[in-house]
Amino acid sequence: MVANTFITKIEGHGDLAVDWRKEDVRLNIHEGERLFEGILVGRTAEEAHWITPRICGVCPIAHNLASLAAIEDAYGVRVNDTTTLLRRLLWCGQMIQSHVLHLFFLALPDYIGLDRGTELAQKDPRSFAKALALKELGDAIAHAVGGRNVHPTTTTVGGFHTLPTTRALEQLARALERTARAAEWTVRTFAGLPYPELRVDLELVAQHGDRIVSANGKSSSVRSYKKQINEELRAYSTAKFGTYRGRAMLVGALARLTVLTDASSAPARAPTVDSKNPFHNNLAQAIEIQQFHAEALRITGELLRSHLDATIAKPSAHPTRKGIGAIEAPRGGLYHEIHLNDAGIVTHANIITPTVQNLTSIEESARALIAQTRGHAKAKRERLLRMLVRAYDPCITCSVH
Amino acid sequence: MKKKKPKVAIYDLTDCEGCEVKLVSLRERLLAIERRVDIVNWRLGQERVAPGPYDITIIEGSPITEHEIELLKTLRAQSKILIALGACATIGGIPAIMPAAERKNWYKRIYGAQYKPRGIDALPLVAYVTVDVAIHGCPVDEDEVVRIVEELLAEKKPDARGYAVCFDCKRAGNPCRLLAGKPCLGPITQGGCKAICVSGGSPCYGCFGLRDDANVAALRTLLLSITTPDEVRRYFSMFHARTKGMMDDGKASAT
Repeated sequence: MVANTFITKIEGHGDLAVDWRKEDVRLNIHEGERLFEGILVGRTAEEAHWITPRICGVCPIAHNLASLAAIEDAYGVRVNDTTTLLRRLLWCGQMIQSHVLHLFFLALPDYIGLDRGTELAQKDPRSFAKALALKELGDAIAHAVGGRNVHPTTTTVGGFHTLPTTRALEQLARALERTARAAEWTVRTFAGLPYPELRVDLELVAQHGDRIVSANGKSSSVRSYKKQINEELRAYSTAKFGTYRGRAMLVGALARLTVLTDASSAPARAPTVDSKNPFHNNLAQAIEIQQFHAEALRITGELLRSHLDATIAKPSAHPTRKGIGAIEAPRGGLYHEIHLNDAGIVTHANIITPTVQNLTSIEESARALIAQTRGHAKAKRERLLRMLVRAYDPCITCSVH
Repeated sequence: MKKKKPKVAIYDLTDCEGCEVKLVSLRERLLAIERRVDIVNWRLGQERVAPGPYDITIIEGSPITEHEIELLKTLRAQSKILIALGACATIGGIPAIMPAAERKNWYKRIYGAQYKPRGIDALPLVAYVTVDVAIHGCPVDEDEVVRIVEELLAEKKPDARGYAVCFDCKRAGNPCRLLAGKPCLGPITQGGCKAICVSGGSPCYGCFGLRDDANVAALRTLLLSITTPDEVRRYFSMFHARTKGMMDDGKASAT
């Protein structure tokens, strides 16, 4: 018997069809196709980073930065230190924005018996105030550096149209100092949640510099992203399903913490994540909120101490006009490949989003969950399945694009 | 007697959900609105799903698939007031850049020949139903959302802003892009956005919708004096590819 479970509180439209007898699942994706790779063709190099944030309003900065990186790679543009620092700060803001939205508004209600995240305001006003303070902080970083909390306005190929003022950076530094304890509290809160048991053997994959690295020790250049990450069609989905070297892969916070953090560099008091349990992606996101918060504070301080260079970097004399922009988005590795003609018009675009890479493993984890909860009541298993899909923080919107 | 709280449903069709993220970014102000209404349906935010009819239905995104078009019509029939939230819903926005006739070719190139497409075309809500209120923007502006919702709760019909983005630009202290020889759709675009894009250094592509009596033909003539016809087309098509009078190269004025 097949039962379809519509999944709320995720970004976009999907449902899980479960065949309880065969212990099989299908993740149906219904989002309409917008065909962004087609929309980009015929637009200018300077319009790409304007258009691609509209793929996803939850991680628009990641798309903006990926497109800028792709165009700058195509043109051989080398940006200055100010730009590098400001983009890194903007990126930290993106991570905090997206993780806070997911953890407090979409995931936490599962664990404390709420329907809507804002119900926490009545149930536990002090906790809710901390969650809102972090949401406000993520938005404040995006606003101060990117010009707006959703869809940046200040970024451009080679640098920034406008730089944040000293006053804006000072305000940001104070806001970061004020929220440091809320970030610590987030880790404690999510470390104390009763995550369901689950063991799945997946390829955990993250970008490290210009490499794509797996927890099993495999490594390759981001330039070969299309070889490493294969996308295939499923008749029941408007999104493609990704695999890493033929295996189901997991990308995002849990993969980053597993792949990029070695034991010696981990903060002493940080809780440990179970890399075999996708539910722990929620805990990993909480830990990352604190990491990105600390990094944002460090960068803001550095910016305040340095002379900001407003120069916009120029293209090289002999550009290849074919570029790849690879960046870790909140949900995992994001790849934008853009080709331009000699008039600066896009002739080809390819985009692989993090959620595409996670879709195969969501199904695999769901099958594992069904097999590992035999004998439990169906209602409970259905609830666990919905929680599992949410724990991945899938962005269906991104996956279809 | 205490008045019953209006039943509100929030729906998203195909889109980036950035305007819903803006709703969450209202934070304390969202809580204040929540106290005055009963949000009975919000897929992004809650599990609870109540059937219609609804007093107010807020719809974000483009009805791209057959299923979404049917859902939109059903929601219209069940709703006293239907609000289009954000540029995809109000004017077509970025997804509308893709011409319907070219979809087939792109399905083949992006998905391959085996793929059975679901999407038909990316059009604003008005292509299928009557829209009572438009909250413009890509994304929407928080203050405009609050203004319009509060006016509705006070049983007023929210008015469109009667001024152009130019007014917002002056207030923000921005130098005029057009005077500097850079293309801009500010003069024909409804204000209320605080000129946030121009303040950040980006162009205005008109996501807040055409203002009343916008003189599109005059702006086109002006733009053609500072840049190429191709670039003018790209500016006009960023959010307005499906807006009447925008893409026919100056032969018609906006209505």
